[in-house]
Amino acid sequence: MNIKKLGKLVLPYLVWMSVLVGLPLLMMVVLTFLKSNALDLGTAEFSFDSWRILFSDVTVRIALKNSFVNGIIATIICFVIGYPIAYIVANSNFSNKLIILVLTIIPMWSNSLLRNNAIANILSERSIVNDVLSNIGLNFIWPIRGVVYESGFSPAVVIGLVLTYLPFMILPIYTVLEKIDKSLLEASMDLGSNKIKTFFKVTFPLSIKGVTTGIIMVFLPSFSGFAIPKILGSGSLVFIGTLIDSRFMNRNYNFGSLLSLVILLIIFGSMALIFKVDKEGETLI
Amino acid sequence: MSKKLIELRNVTKTYDDITVVDNISLYINENEFITLLGPSGCGKTTTLRMIGGFEKPDSGEIILNGVVVNELPPYERPINTVFQRYALFPHLNVFDNIAFGLKNQKVPKQEIAERVETALKLVSLPNFGARKVANLSGGQQQRIAIARAIVNRPKILLLDEPLAALDLKLRQNMQYELKEMQRKLGITFIYVTHDQEEALTMSDTIVVMRDGLIQQIGTPTGIYNEPRNRFVARFIGESNILEGTYVRQNVVSFMGVEFDCVDIGFADGEKVDVVIRPEDLDLIDPVGAKLVGVVSSSIFKGVHFELCVIVQEKEFVIHTYENKNVGQAVGLRVDSYEIHLMKVEN
Repeated sequence: MNIKKLGKLVLPYLVWMSVLVGLPLLMMVVLTFLKSNALDLGTAEFSFDSWRILFSDVTVRIALKNSFVNGIIATIICFVIGYPIAYIVANSNFSNKLIILVLTIIPMWSNSLLRNNAIANILSERSIVNDVLSNIGLNFIWPIRGVVYESGFSPAVVIGLVLTYLPFMILPIYTVLEKIDKSLLEASMDLGSNKIKTFFKVTFPLSIKGVTTGIIMVFLPSFSGFAIPKILGSGSLVFIGTLIDSRFMNRNYNFGSLLSLVILLIIFGSMALIFKVDKEGETLI
Repeated sequence: MSKKLIELRNVTKTYDDITVVDNISLYINENEFITLLGPSGCGKTTTLRMIGGFEKPDSGEIILNGVVVNELPPYERPINTVFQRYALFPHLNVFDNIAFGLKNQKVPKQEIAERVETALKLVSLPNFGARKVANLSGGQQQRIAIARAIVNRPKILLLDEPLAALDLKLRQNMQYELKEMQRKLGITFIYVTHDQEEALTMSDTIVVMRDGLIQQIGTPTGIYNEPRNRFVARFIGESNILEGTYVRQNVVSFMGVEFDCVDIGFADGEKVDVVIRPEDLDLIDPVGAKLVGVVSSSIFKGVHFELCVIVQEKEFVIHTYENKNVGQAVGLRVDSYEIHLMKVEN
C-alpha cells in the first residue's frame, strides 16, 4: 500500500498524525535537551541535566526494577491462569464459545480506575473481608494492601494488574488454540503420543505465537502503567509510570519526557518482537 | 494361506440418532490391500476411524490379532494413518515430522536418521529432511505423510482418501506407487475412497458401502463383473440396467426378447435386474438383430466412442471403436456370459 496511490485520501490522516502524534513526540525529544519550567520555552535553556539524571539517579533504576518485577510477576500469573482458561474454552463443547470469552471481557466495560479503587478497598484494613477474617482469627493474611517485599514485589499491585490485564492473555491464546487443526492432534496420537505428550509436542508449540502476543500485551501496560500502582501500591513504592506522573506534576517536563521516551523505546522493541514471531498479526484479533 | 489380521464384528456407530455404521462385519488378512468404497456419508471414514482408535464403536467388537481393541487408544495400536489433508506438523521440518513416531518409541538417534532417510527414499523425496513443510507442494506433502506413517513399520496402514487433493496425473502415479509400496513393505493397507477407479486399480479386495451397510465384498474383477445389486452396478463403472424375467434355466427375457445366459440361482419366472456393461454390447447389422435401435448421440472419448442408442424408448450406453452417425439404425448383440443377472431389491 503506497501513499501515492491513495493520494489525497490519506492527507487528513497524515495531518492528524503529524499534529497529534508527530509534533508532540518531537516536542518531547526537544524537551529532553532543555531545562525549562514546564512548557515555558521563553526561559528555557539548553541542558543535558535530564540525561545525566537518567543514568545517575538511583530512583530511576529502582522505579524500572519495581515496574519490571511487578510486571513480570503479573504476566506470569496471567499466563498460568489464562492458558488453562483459553485451553478449556477452546476445547469445550459449548455451542457458543464466544459467550464465555465475552464473560471475561465484560469487567472491562467498567472503568479500570473504578475497578482498581474497588480492589483497593477490598484489600484495605477496613474492608468486609478483613472484618470477617480478623473475627475468625485469620488476621495475619489481611490486609495485603501495604505489603511490599524487598524485591519491590507488591501483592496488591499484582492483583490489580492481573485482574485488569488477564483478558489480554486469554484472547490471543484462545485464538491460536481454536485455529489448531484437530487432525494434527489425532496424527500425534496416531504416532504414539499420549494426550499429555501431544499437548507438549504439538498443541503448545503451535500456540506459542498466541502466548508471545499475550505476554507482550500483558507485560507492556503492566510495566508502563501508572494508575494501578498509584491506586494499589503503598506510597513508598516508586514505579516508572508513577515517576513520570510525578515529574509532570512537578512541572519537570524535561525529565518526564525523557522517561516517557525510554518507555516508548521499550514498547517499540517489544512490538518488533511480536511482528517477528507473528508476521501475519493473526493472533492480534 | 493368509492370516486374519483384523476383524470387525457387528460394529455399529451412531451420531445423534443417525446410524453411520450399521452392524457391519468384516475381516482383513495380512498383506492385503483392502478398499472401503462408497459415496460420501456411507460410513467408510467412520469405519476407518474406529479401526484407528479415534472413534469408539457403540456396539460390536474390533479384534486385532485375536484381541479385542475397542478400548485401546490410538497411541497404543500398531496402526498408523495417512490423513485426508495430510495433517503434517507445521512447526516441524520434514525430518522431524517423519521422526515423530520413532522418537515416541525412543528409537536411538542413529537409527532414526537411517530409517527417516530410507523412508524419504521410498517416497522418492531423498534429502528433503531439512525442508519446511509449508514449502512443499501438495504431492510432496502427501508423500511425506505416507513416509511419516510407514517409517514406524505399522502392521496396518490406514489411508483416508489420501489422493483426493491431487491432480489427475499425480493421482494416477501415486496409485501405482502406493500399490508398489504395499507389495514391497508387506503392510496391510486399508484404503478409503469414493473413487471407483482408484479402488479397482489398487485393491486386492473392495468393500462397497452405502448408508452404513456393506453392499458387497469382493475382488475388483468380481465386483465389476458380478455386482450384487443395482447400487453396486451403478457405482462401479458404467452399466445398462434393465428389468427382466428369468424364463427358465439359462434363459432370460428382457426388452421383449429371450437371451441365453449363464447365471443360475433364480426361480423360473422370477423378476431380475439385468446388467450389461457398455463395452460388452456389440454393434451388428440391424437386419436379423434381436435388439434394434437408433444412435442418438456419439461422443469421442479418446480410446473409444461412447454411443447412446435408443432401443424401444430405452437408452443404452455402448463403448465401441467404430463410430456411427447419429440417426443411424444399428443392431445390438450381447454374449450370453456377458449378461449379468441380479436379484431385484425391494
